[in-house]
Amino acid sequence: MKGDPFPVENPSWTNIVPLLSFQKTLEIYSVELSGTKNIEQTDKGNGKEKYRGLKNCFEPKKNHRKEELRKELDLDDHKLSIKELEKKYGTNIITGLSSTQAAELLAQNGPNALTPPKETPEIIKFLKQMVGGFSILLWIGAILCWIAFGIQYSMNTTSSLDNVYLGCVLALVVILTGIFAYYQEAKSTNVMATFNKMIPQQALVIRDSEKKTIPADQLVVGDIVEIKGGDRIPADIRLLSVQGCKVDNSSLTGESEPQPRSSEFTHDSPLETKNIGFYSTTCLEGTATGMVINTGDRTVIGQIASLASGVGNEKTPIAIEIQHFVHIVAGVAVSIGILFFIIAVSLKYQVLDSIIFLIGIIVANVPEGLLATVTVTLSLTAKRLAKKNCLVKNLEAVETLGSTSIICSDKTGTLTQNRMTVAHLWFDNQIFIADTSEDHSNQVFDQSSGTWASLSKIITLCNRAEFRPGQESVPIMKRVVVGDASETALLKFSEVILGDVMEIRKRNHKVAEIPFNSTNKFQLSVHKTDDPNDKRFLMVMKGAPERILEKCSTIMVNGQEQPLDKNTAEAFHTAYMELGGLGERVLGFCHLYLPADEFPETYTFDVDTMNFPTSNLCFVGLLSMIDPPRSTVPDAVTKCRSAGIKVIMVTGDHPITAKAIAKSVGIISANSETVEDIAKRLHIAVEQVNKRDAKAAVVTGMELKDMSPEQLDELLTNYPEIVFARTSPQQKLIIVEGCQRQNAVVAVTGDGVNDSPALKKADIGIAMGIAGSDAAKNAADMILLDDNFASIVTGVEEGRLIFDNLKKTIAYTLTKNIAELCPFLIYIIVGLPLPIGTITILFIDLGTDIIPSIALAYEKAESDIMNRKPRHKKKDRLVNQQLAMYSYLHIGLMQAVGAFVVYFTVYAQEGFKPSVLINIRVEWENSNVNDLEDSYGQQWTLYQRKYLEWMGYTAFFVGIMVQQIADLIIRKTRRNSIFQQGLFRNKVIWVGIASQIIIALILSYGLGSVTALSFTMLRPQYWFVAVPFAILIWVYDEVRKLFIRLYPGSWWDKNMYY
Amino acid sequence: MTKKEKKSFNQSLAEWKLFIYNPTTGEFLGRTAKSWGLTVFPKPLTALEYSFTVSDPRSYQGYIEDLRKFLKPYDLEEQKNLTACPDGALFEQKGPVYGACQFPVALLQACSGVDDPEFGYSIGNPCVLVKMNRIIGLKPQGEPRIECISKSENTAALSTYPPNGLIDLKYFPYYGKKLHVSYLQPLVAVQVSFNATSSTVNEVTVECKIDGSPNLKNQDDRDKFLGRVVFKVTARA
Repeated sequence: MKGDPFPVENPSWTNIVPLLSFQKTLEIYSVELSGTKNIEQTDKGNGKEKYRGLKNCFEPKKNHRKEELRKELDLDDHKLSIKELEKKYGTNIITGLSSTQAAELLAQNGPNALTPPKETPEIIKFLKQMVGGFSILLWIGAILCWIAFGIQYSMNTTSSLDNVYLGCVLALVVILTGIFAYYQEAKSTNVMATFNKMIPQQALVIRDSEKKTIPADQLVVGDIVEIKGGDRIPADIRLLSVQGCKVDNSSLTGESEPQPRSSEFTHDSPLETKNIGFYSTTCLEGTATGMVINTGDRTVIGQIASLASGVGNEKTPIAIEIQHFVHIVAGVAVSIGILFFIIAVSLKYQVLDSIIFLIGIIVANVPEGLLATVTVTLSLTAKRLAKKNCLVKNLEAVETLGSTSIICSDKTGTLTQNRMTVAHLWFDNQIFIADTSEDHSNQVFDQSSGTWASLSKIITLCNRAEFRPGQESVPIMKRVVVGDASETALLKFSEVILGDVMEIRKRNHKVAEIPFNSTNKFQLSVHKTDDPNDKRFLMVMKGAPERILEKCSTIMVNGQEQPLDKNTAEAFHTAYMELGGLGERVLGFCHLYLPADEFPETYTFDVDTMNFPTSNLCFVGLLSMIDPPRSTVPDAVTKCRSAGIKVIMVTGDHPITAKAIAKSVGIISANSETVEDIAKRLHIAVEQVNKRDAKAAVVTGMELKDMSPEQLDELLTNYPEIVFARTSPQQKLIIVEGCQRQNAVVAVTGDGVNDSPALKKADIGIAMGIAGSDAAKNAADMILLDDNFASIVTGVEEGRLIFDNLKKTIAYTLTKNIAELCPFLIYIIVGLPLPIGTITILFIDLGTDIIPSIALAYEKAESDIMNRKPRHKKKDRLVNQQLAMYSYLHIGLMQAVGAFVVYFTVYAQEGFKPSVLINIRVEWENSNVNDLEDSYGQQWTLYQRKYLEWMGYTAFFVGIMVQQIADLIIRKTRRNSIFQQGLFRNKVIWVGIASQIIIALILSYGLGSVTALSFTMLRPQYWFVAVPFAILIWVYDEVRKLFIRLYPGSWWDKNMYY
Repeated sequence: MTKKEKKSFNQSLAEWKLFIYNPTTGEFLGRTAKSWGLTVFPKPLTALEYSFTVSDPRSYQGYIEDLRKFLKPYDLEEQKNLTACPDGALFEQKGPVYGACQFPVALLQACSGVDDPEFGYSIGNPCVLVKMNRIIGLKPQGEPRIECISKSENTAALSTYPPNGLIDLKYFPYYGKKLHVSYLQPLVAVQVSFNATSSTVNEVTVECKIDGSPNLKNQDDRDKFLGRVVFKVTARA
């Protein structure tokens, strides 16, 4: 990083790299760019870093568990000799344990399986749903109903069953919504399996001198097990004998390259030594015998798993918002309820009646259907997201994504295509750009030069990678290749340009080959050429550019060999520097036609004695490769930026590569510089640079390790563009915690087992669907099915939309609460016949209002929601004061007035003018009065009055319903005019409106004769009484929106916009 | 309720049709199917039970006062300005002034309070007035009358005044409080005469119903007062 990509080993080059004085960095880079096998080399480097990181992560933590883990990791079995091991574990490597010993140990230590994370029992989960949210309030209501009936019954055995009905209905509401929520939750949590999935089914073990296949969970410490390619390692094992065994430790360490194993003790750290195989990792090839040294939760993976479950799962922002909302509403309900209970009692109402009022007030205040609606809304979005490759495990995570303010993204696979691709070529003193897009289709560089002909031949022939047979119909870029990443890249590159590579290789028969090794740092092969007139052998070689150049005395320019002079060497250096500076892996290519006289057709090449020349070759060109960014990522990053989301790259990769990719995808924008860049530009020391001038920072894991939390905070606040390179997955946890200290909502991507603590800690953990380990998927809240960063941005957009739409839904739902509440208050104080019954209210909350409030989830965004800042999780509440005030006091009161007008109209039309209704309650409800006189002198029996009261309920209900239609329409937008939004764009709204009307018609005309429901048939004209009020609501809201648009920032805007 | 639930589909359909348009009452879409409700006077304190002791005037003092108060508008003095309408026909009027028909209190004969200011309570033959709730525009068909029967076996003889409990059509239709000033609703008095005056406690349950008019219902599952009224009289010696 210290400004220079020059990872050269050749010390003679340091003179052209003045800033390459940073010894630590040099060490790290020294393995990079050094040969065809450099990928493996690099990744070994990476791996070591990760191990260090693993320990670093555990060291500074005060967390007791982590301390323990560190201690546990100080196992020294890898240092012991086989004899010592046999003694320690009381076993014998030839005969194995005896069955009795094994049984004893199994009883003592338990099965070799990970303890699954503590699952809440299903019944507890279910009960939680039954008492969560508003349920408690409704239970109280139901119980009060039954108590009230009990008292009534004890006084008069013929008392009406109304209260029993009501209690049952309330209980039913709670139970049904509880079952619904439980079902929704169960559906989403079952998406992924647990850690258990990683446990291998069977293990081959030596016991009682016999080879036996036993279930892997029966393994005990001291067992001798045999593994072969394809097996999952059944426990932590110390390897005793190894035949070409390579393991995939990626789920543990994040290293994607196969790691060779041996029985030798190679490193002090148990994580780095080659003679230990880890539980749940995969043996890719070869065979090995090992002794089990740790089982179950005591394995390294087991400890990480318990670390992950030790990291508390943060409550999702939407859960906090909903809780906040429930508290507000419940608070309002209970306080109004109690207030009016007291008022009722002091107005000399019977306590029993006052309790009934209390229930009515609670029921009117609680939006019974809302929580179910929210769940449905979230799951609708989750479904929509699943179509866009985001699988949401936890429904609430949908919204979390929308409030995300920092995304910590992996590089490999998420931002990049996760495959090496040829990016640049250098020959004839020119750099050519190759097409790195996903399909490689557009290779436009000049292919007419003779040099290219030679270079392409070397690329084709000096390559051991092959396509798996039988893939002729598969596009080249998608074919499966046997070979390492660089060779695969070269194979595909040449296949795209030259056509059938395998055929070319066949025509140029290979007679000898030296594969790459880290001492030579080159790879060569000797071929018979396909030119029948040319009997010379062609030797082709590729490798670390500086090594290749050393072996050359000539260079090919425009197809002609020229002596390699100082100028051409300079040109080579310049090109090499430039390509290296792009973070690309550079390879050099050279060839030599062996003279036919010295090497006749019958000549036998011996690769051990090297009986052929390997110097004075002809240098042909350079080629550089990179894992290129996905084509959709730069756009996505730009979107994030305009959406106020900081994108931080966290990668185990090399800082230069990381920085190059960060630049190419826009995580570091084109004109921002790091401190090092500024130092280089101004030719001053890094320390002299004013840190404020730098917008970007590239921080390595090594530097991160030495930072205090305060320094990390400073780094995170001061730099808008940050790349963490060479970090271990464990350091991700530190970074996430740092971001969370800034009050940010943090999204983290990850794929390895080691990522799971960070994924859990993050506000939203995003696991990769393709590359992700089960552990990561298990810890994550969301899974990206296509591993593509751009999908996260889609998710953010949906999350923000759902937050807006939930606001609308809640505003819509809350509005009618006032219209439902006022009847009770006025009934108590003014003594009117009860305008609306409790059961009728439930039919609004759980009947007519349900589909419309879900329909609001389909509303399109009002403006570009990706152009505003993420919401502040403490300031931008889901339900804020403005929303509550506007819904309750503006639209809500209007609705109440409208509904009362309908009520009074019906009563007046039937005979009771408003004036006589005042304080009529006692007589009205007196069963001995059967000739109550109305305003026209007519006389009413009790039942006739009761029937009129039900008609009043129905009328009030219809009044609210009609106005809720207007309410639904105005809630489509919060700022724009409805006409800007389009009245008909969201068709579901109209389904909602239709549902309201149809349900109301059915209730009135269909179920009008069912006494318990207390609906009656209504004269048609009564349906239209509330229409003017509906229109008034619409006009009022349009005016509100107009002023908000006209005077942004004004008092009006601040108080009327919710 | 249970009866309702057992209603067959056809019945519901028929009822529904009736709701849309009821040809008898001319009601369209459910203005409450209003029918007469029957109520009684004096207003008993407890639910429709009259209980008094013949020898103790204080025990029925309340009833008598209630009846006197109720019959005050029926005084001959008060009825001077009312129309003497022709009997046996509806008294339909076009307005703007609506006249009210006289209801001579003498029609109630023994229960008129004229001859016996104690309305029979002092002799153990109490009078109870049955009245019909006022309903605007209701035009009874046929010959409506109030028929009272004793539900208990023959312990009491019931006499109704006017004879046969007849209600004359001339009191209908009613045009409302404002237009139809000083309208007098027709009354029927029921006098309970206990047979065995010797026994110390006489008790009878009386059920009165509207009869003789096809458009006036006297049976409703839910409304116990629709076209009928049931009360109990207990007289102690």
